[in-house]
Amino acid sequence: MSDFWDRYGRSVSICHRMPPVLKLALAVCVIVAGVAIPVRYWPAYGVLGCLVFAGHSIAGIPLGYLIKRLLIFLPFVGSMAISLPLSQGLDRGWDLMLQIMFRGCLAFLVSLWLVNVMPFEQLLVTLRKLKVPAVVVAILAFMYRYVFVVWDELDKMRTARKARSFSGGSLWFRWKTLSQMIGMLLIRSLNRAERIHGAMCSRGWDGEVRWLDDSD
Amino acid sequence: MHIQDGYLSTSVCLATGAVSLGAVAYSLHRMKDSLGERTVPLTGMMGSLIFAGQMVNFPIGLPVSGHLMGGVLAAAVLGPWAGCIAVTLVLVAQWALFSDGGLLALGANVLHIAVLGSIGGYAVMTTVRKLLGGGLRGAVAGAVVAAWLAVLAASAVFCLEFRLSYAASDFDFGNIFTLMVTLHALIGVGEAIITGFVVSVIYQQRSDLIDMAQPADSTVASSASRFAAAGLVCALAVAAFAAPFASDLPDGLDAVAERFRIATSEDSTAGLFADYDQIPVSGWQSLSVSVAGIGGSLAVFAAAVLIGRAIPMTAPTIATEATGE
Repeated sequence: MSDFWDRYGRSVSICHRMPPVLKLALAVCVIVAGVAIPVRYWPAYGVLGCLVFAGHSIAGIPLGYLIKRLLIFLPFVGSMAISLPLSQGLDRGWDLMLQIMFRGCLAFLVSLWLVNVMPFEQLLVTLRKLKVPAVVVAILAFMYRYVFVVWDELDKMRTARKARSFSGGSLWFRWKTLSQMIGMLLIRSLNRAERIHGAMCSRGWDGEVRWLDDSD
Repeated sequence: MHIQDGYLSTSVCLATGAVSLGAVAYSLHRMKDSLGERTVPLTGMMGSLIFAGQMVNFPIGLPVSGHLMGGVLAAAVLGPWAGCIAVTLVLVAQWALFSDGGLLALGANVLHIAVLGSIGGYAVMTTVRKLLGGGLRGAVAGAVVAAWLAVLAASAVFCLEFRLSYAASDFDFGNIFTLMVTLHALIGVGEAIITGFVVSVIYQQRSDLIDMAQPADSTVASSASRFAAAGLVCALAVAAFAAPFASDLPDGLDAVAERFRIATSEDSTAGLFADYDQIPVSGWQSLSVSVAGIGGSLAVFAAAVLIGRAIPMTAPTIATEATGE
């Protein structure tokens, strides 16, 4: 499952080796530029688009991957954007729709670049450097560490449910079963959290978040 | 999917970002007070759960499937402040890992799901619980109603933000508003039912977890401010239904936008008040929104009743080991 997120995060390229703060700042700047630049300066959009694709190719992210992700993304942006011309009987609003779609896709591609070029742990270090409160970063780190455990448990429950031939049944029944799964998962997760808390306390945890000095 | 970059204008994104930042900062402060040293493991674990839970797809009888947002659920178990933080961090992680939701739009997403959803939803939930006298039925009914109203309020606020992002001439506000609110009234029913079921499951197994969210010293708010918060969420939801009939509402928005000189559209050459007479919502729109409203409300209350009835009157309380607090 971790492979799904940042499949190209372990590669080596100039983009990967850039200082993390610079990577984040670049991504933010491009996204802000994409959203804020008025449409009448449309050549700027061409420049931004080229920049994004250049960034992807330098980082070694294949075009097929980008296209696949874009195809999943497009229906959501498209359905939102198409409501604009639809609301006016399909005779106006097309330019606004294109504007929204382009900006959305641009921001999405930039985020994809950032995700693949900066592994999550590096993002956390960067956030700390940028003076985000330590408890927030600690919770994010905790979340990332345990989401795989939770996901595995969910998967086990799903397999068990499939083994008991879940496919039939009314909608109400299916919702009830899924909710029971989530409820049990929640209780188990909270029990696990209590155990982990106990383990942390027995190793000297007092609520104060401390970090080893990474000095990078 | 959450709001992407490009849906809303930069100024609206910044404004919602500022509001969300303030609310999140406040929640952080209150959360540390109420949870103390359990903050990190508890909130972190709940965050991973919501993250995983949002990837579970519920069939809705159509080719599309829905998934649980979890704002009210987080608040039911963790309380309003930790719930808000957990959901906020889930949204941040979803952006950082899936590119789900825009970066600038994070402020708007957090405002809708974490602030309105968790904090506002918690206020509604506790108010309903108080009215129904606590216990299993109170908890479930509170969760169901809060979840539905939260979804509705969020969609209403999104329409407001959308309206402030673009000039009046660029789209038909009435149509879009109708579409959004109707759709979310239906989606909200799903969220409400699922939240109600999950809360009932938790209550039967570990009722102390639900009561854990009830602060003994009422620091979360005095009844007065809780009523105020609940009232705000309800008001937003009610406004979503009443707005089509209040034909002067968009005028108010235009006036507000003009007064605060909010840039409604950078490239629109038409003035703010162009197509002024296009605003009143026509007959079929108000009908569909009221149908959605009435139908949705009925469905929500039916769900609350049905889920409550499926549960025996006296739920066995399992003795749990002391947590050493």
